Amino acid sequence: MAIILTLVRKDIATFLRNRAAVVVTFLVPIVLIYIFGWVFGLNQKDTGPTDIRLAIVNASTNPAAQKLVDALKADPAFHVITTTDNPDKIKRPLTEEDLRPQIRDGWYRFAVVIPADVVSTDRIGLHLKILSDPRNDIEAQTVNGLLQKTIFSNVPELLGQSLQARAKQFLGDSRFNKFNHSIADTVATAFGGDPAKIQRTIESGSFGLDRITPPAKPADPSLRRLDNGAPAPATTPNPATPAAKPAPATAQDFFSRLVKIDSEQIVGKSVKSPAATRMVGGWAIMFLLFAVSGGAAAFFDEANTGVFQRILSAPVSRAQLLWSRFLYGVLLGLFQLMIIFVVGQMMYGIDVFGHLGNLIAVSVAAASACSAFGMLIAALAPNATAASGLSTLVVMVMSATGGAWFPMSFMPEFMQTIGKFTLVYWSMEGFLQVLWAERTFVELLPILGILTGITLVVMTVAIWRLKKKQIFA
Amino acid sequence: MLSLRSVTKRYGALTALDGVSLDIAHGEFFGLLGPNGAGKSTLMSLAAGLRAPDAGALTLDSVVITPADPAARSALGLVPQSIALFQELSAEQNLHTFGRLYGLRGAVLRERIDEALTAVGLADRRHDPVKNYSGGMQRRLNLIAALLHRPKLLLCDEPTVGVDPQSRNAIFDFLEQRNREGLTIIYSTHYMEEATRLCSRIGIIDHGKIHALGTLDELLTRLPFDEEIVFPATPVTAPLAAELGAHGALTTLEGRHHFQAATGFKLSAFYARTEAHGLSPQLFTAARPSLEAVFLHLTGRNLRE
Repeated sequence: MAIILTLVRKDIATFLRNRAAVVVTFLVPIVLIYIFGWVFGLNQKDTGPTDIRLAIVNASTNPAAQKLVDALKADPAFHVITTTDNPDKIKRPLTEEDLRPQIRDGWYRFAVVIPADVVSTDRIGLHLKILSDPRNDIEAQTVNGLLQKTIFSNVPELLGQSLQARAKQFLGDSRFNKFNHSIADTVATAFGGDPAKIQRTIESGSFGLDRITPPAKPADPSLRRLDNGAPAPATTPNPATPAAKPAPATAQDFFSRLVKIDSEQIVGKSVKSPAATRMVGGWAIMFLLFAVSGGAAAFFDEANTGVFQRILSAPVSRAQLLWSRFLYGVLLGLFQLMIIFVVGQMMYGIDVFGHLGNLIAVSVAAASACSAFGMLIAALAPNATAASGLSTLVVMVMSATGGAWFPMSFMPEFMQTIGKFTLVYWSMEGFLQVLWAERTFVELLPILGILTGITLVVMTVAIWRLKKKQIFA
Repeated sequence: MLSLRSVTKRYGALTALDGVSLDIAHGEFFGLLGPNGAGKSTLMSLAAGLRAPDAGALTLDSVVITPADPAARSALGLVPQSIALFQELSAEQNLHTFGRLYGLRGAVLRERIDEALTAVGLADRRHDPVKNYSGGMQRRLNLIAALLHRPKLLLCDEPTVGVDPQSRNAIFDFLEQRNREGLTIIYSTHYMEEATRLCSRIGIIDHGKIHALGTLDELLTRLPFDEEIVFPATPVTAPLAAELGAHGALTTLEGRHHFQAATGFKLSAFYARTEAHGLSPQLFTAARPSLEAVFLHLTGRNLRE
């Protein structure tokens, strides 16, 4: 036993001396648990997504429509936008015509239109419209659920008005008033109260439908997907439910039959393989980061074997040596990305060859940023083991906060802000702009510029640090 | 050819080179002899332009050598202390890479590679990955990789560390041949045997300073004695060795004691003590002092301390 304990003590001492191993073993899980805790709302009062940008056009003058807008504004999940700037920078209310180009340009990914005829006399029920760019499946489903929850919680009044208006059209003013009067009298006789007041309540549409409105279930997989472009079905069949035994109708079913929501997918409509197209960028960039950061450890191997000394004793400058490592990282990353995308086309039908030019442009920019990141890891870490530990930590944190694993809107605002400073976010954005939004090269220039900027800044810091390092002598 | 003027290099509080001045002439085989940590590798890295001195200057044929001027290094070849090769690549691929760094291309490069591999007996293994080579083979390749571009000055930083005697001799023969052909060589080592065999002039370095400089004979004249007494280091001779320490310098190398008598200690007194300990006179031989003795005399410590 003493021998076993001696050997265990040796292992513990060795482990504690390896700071990289300690970081990977303890710090990485803590950081990731923290991030996941935020995302999944562990021990928090307010959970779920926050500040999802949602544009609302309210063309209706009905007070109940404004109530719906106010309810969406009050939901912390949404950052509601109702105005836009004219070319002369003067604000004006959004119109439906503004929504499509602004969604295409990425100002927001979801918009609700409450038309002027939200309550119409020529039909029973309500009519709403949702426009979307469902580039992230999880986010789109969640937003859909949240919108349905808020709409169904607020439509009963509108629905009552709709029923009143339809009845009025069929019965005529006189018979309609007589009908409401009779109902009000009957209710007053049976339950008490002022018949005139009850009649006014009935005519306003507030006759108790809200009491049967069920709580929404945002995560319910049966919620209608925003990206399928089909009109709202009454219910979406649950694959787990046998067709011979339809589920009993619920209050939600009742409302969803009466509330007609037209969905229009603005971006990504022609994408052949939406799910794979959405995911491929995030995974690709994560694997690329791991590959490139592995190169940081190899950097130390060459330094330790004296290869750098030999190279630098030739007519080779330190800058040439460093840029050669950078270029190698770019080429490695580019090939890796291309292989991932081509396999994605072969296995999942992602349209890679249809966007090859732009995809190569974004891949070069992303690979450059990742290669620079690898150089920075090599510059900051004291040795290969530390480089390995540091890169594991940073790659996982960047992937989590940059949106490679789950939508950024699920994270608190400050983390979303941090995420936008990561190369993961901008690389994924680039891939989505090419494969999902099918942007032109000119439209991609801002993202290419940002990735190039990240590359230059990171490389400048890395070269500055590396030139001072003893690694070269 | 190579000139160092008051060169100082510090690493934090440690002064690795302390005002070293040195001139190496064309065609010299110069040995830099000193123990580990004496400053040999620092001097080599400065001469190779890998580091800049904190004070002083180094010039090669009047051109200042600094890390900032890669072109000045084209006349240099460096054989690093470690095996500085790409282990996954073949010998030919390694040489091709290093040759191109010096601007060699095409047929010239191919000829030089063939020539170099043949010279060190690696031509038939040229396509094998270096990681499959023996230590001696890797050392030979490590050496020729620094010579492809035919430098004027070759810097060898302890190039035979961990090499078997056979490969070591092959490397010595190779270097001596190149030196005869006119190549200037600076060879750092802590093996006095290597410096004795190879070098036409030797600099003894310790604690960042050159303590002595000259040919082997010139260095030996610095000793206050012409000969030393050598005898086996065994338990039988241990009592005598303990006594001799008070009458001169006693060093032990590879199982043998080397005794250099202090001034005034007579040979008759020495033999009287051997008789007192019952030791046969056949155990003792008189020998010419080695560089080790010079080093000990100059620095007060052994080369291998």
